[in-house]
Amino acid sequence: MQLHIQQVLPTYFEETIKARSEIWGKDLLFSKGEMIKIVAPSGSGKTSLVHFLYGLRKEYNGTIRYDNTNIKDLNAEGFAGFRKNNISVVFQDLRLFPEQTILENLEIKRELNPYHPQEKVLEMAERLGIASRLDRKARICSYGEQQRAVIIRALLQPFDFLLLDEPFSHLDTENAKKAMALMLEEAEKRKASIVFADLERIDYFPHTRLLHL
Amino acid sequence: MALNYKTIKPLLLTGSNATSRAFSYIGLTVGILLLLCSVQMFINIQQLLKKNDIRKNGFEYISISKMVTNANMGKDNRFTTADLNELKAQPFIDGAAPLLPNEFKVVAGAGSMIPFSSDIFIEALDNEFIDTVPPNFTWQEGQQSIPVIFSSDMLEMYNVFAPSYDLPQMSPATASNVNLSLRCEGALGEMSFQANIVAFSDRVSSVLVPENFLAWANKKLEGIDSVKGSRVFIKTKDANDEKLLRFLDEKGYRVNKERAALGRSRALLQGIISGLGLFGLLVVLLALMLFSFYLQLVVARSKDNLQLLITLGYSPSWLSKNLAKRFVPVYIIVVLIALSVTQLIQWGFHHFVMYDRPELSSYIHPSVAIIAAVLAIASIIANYGMIKRLLHKIA
Repeated sequence: MQLHIQQVLPTYFEETIKARSEIWGKDLLFSKGEMIKIVAPSGSGKTSLVHFLYGLRKEYNGTIRYDNTNIKDLNAEGFAGFRKNNISVVFQDLRLFPEQTILENLEIKRELNPYHPQEKVLEMAERLGIASRLDRKARICSYGEQQRAVIIRALLQPFDFLLLDEPFSHLDTENAKKAMALMLEEAEKRKASIVFADLERIDYFPHTRLLHL
Repeated sequence: MALNYKTIKPLLLTGSNATSRAFSYIGLTVGILLLLCSVQMFINIQQLLKKNDIRKNGFEYISISKMVTNANMGKDNRFTTADLNELKAQPFIDGAAPLLPNEFKVVAGAGSMIPFSSDIFIEALDNEFIDTVPPNFTWQEGQQSIPVIFSSDMLEMYNVFAPSYDLPQMSPATASNVNLSLRCEGALGEMSFQANIVAFSDRVSSVLVPENFLAWANKKLEGIDSVKGSRVFIKTKDANDEKLLRFLDEKGYRVNKERAALGRSRALLQGIISGLGLFGLLVVLLALMLFSFYLQLVVARSKDNLQLLITLGYSPSWLSKNLAKRFVPVYIIVVLIALSVTQLIQWGFHHFVMYDRPELSSYIHPSVAIIAAVLAIASIIANYGMIKRLLHKIA
């Protein structure tokens, strides 16, 4: 699968931003397997970009295509299929069901399109150090624990592109490295691409392309 | 692997309003019950009245005459050809035939067996309109013996008065064996015939002779080619049809009183029952509306969770289908309760109010069950459509 970003600019951004951005207003083609690092300072539209790529918002000009599918043409059902099979995401704002346990949160995603058996969930939780938190309601877990849960959740389905929006904002470097390693392993299994948007460069993400937003 | 609704079940219906749900269920049950009972009672009335109809080949025959009032007393109140054509042209009238009278004087005697003679009137009617027409009810010119169809009512009346006049009472079989003599006197002459009663009619209160005989005799004795009748028989599918009764009222035609009264009371009863049915339908609609508010509340309360499920890749259609499925048993139970209570009411009505009259059944009519099934299916579909719309709105 390939991701085409053509002349995309949020409707609420001024045209002038195109001149200093390597993404807004440009034509880009990302192929499966590429590791793309997007470095973006606050307010440059990082979350907007991830939301556009995941189809959560449509306030942009230009086109975003997965192969030949313009995602602006997809309806809710069409997106459901894409999100189930082709794109996975780690949101900056986490988005867990607060009243469900961490395990329930993970199962809700895993059952949608199981790529791994349930045992794998436990194994991943152990690797990221949240195994003891699996039976806790999400709302009483720390942000760091929640963020690790969200990372595991993103890895429980098949995908061609894994979108990351500041995935380590609540993690210390050691935990971030563990999480990154897990994500790289899982992407490798699927021969998938990672689109990693963050405030700054991170050494432990072996990017093949580096773009400034 | 098929998706499991159980996993996401706790995410929905959070904080659902039990009172509002209970009220909508109760309302729905009461509404459907009212509707089903109305339909069943409507059918009961139809069945009760059908039994009293005098029918032939699925048609009813009623006689009408022009109302004689002070205003039209001196005028000719017989039916003209135009009147007949107008009657026949009505969509609710399948045929009309006049009861043609004799224009000459007829004296009937019973010979030596019963010393009795009286002026009588004879009439003729299209055979199709007579309830009992034996094959020998025919006459040809030159035939001395006239077949006669006698009114059952008139025989009964004779039997009531016969003892007072020292006359023998007669059964229909005996009456059929009596040789009657008919002396017909007109301006152009006088003739005598033999007459035999060949059948008794419950429908026509008259002495009927074959049409061609009456036409021949009117011409022969009075020189009259065509006569007009003051009574007309109407063939209709429903003698209690409101449109028919209204038309007859408008024209000033008088119908058999008992029958008309029956038709009018049926119209009134059916009006009341239809009103009740409409009220039931209204209650059903209100209950469904209440239920839709409850559903909107459920979706609004679970909005964040539903939105996140859709964000994670859950299909809005799958979610709507599964959410709607939760209410299928509710609708089925509600309709089954309403149907059972209707059955109980019908049994009670038949047994205690109608004392097991054979024209009614203790069981509900199949159409009531069909309506119940249609209501259940329609509610389920409406419910599904509404949930789907709500979910696509938040997707």
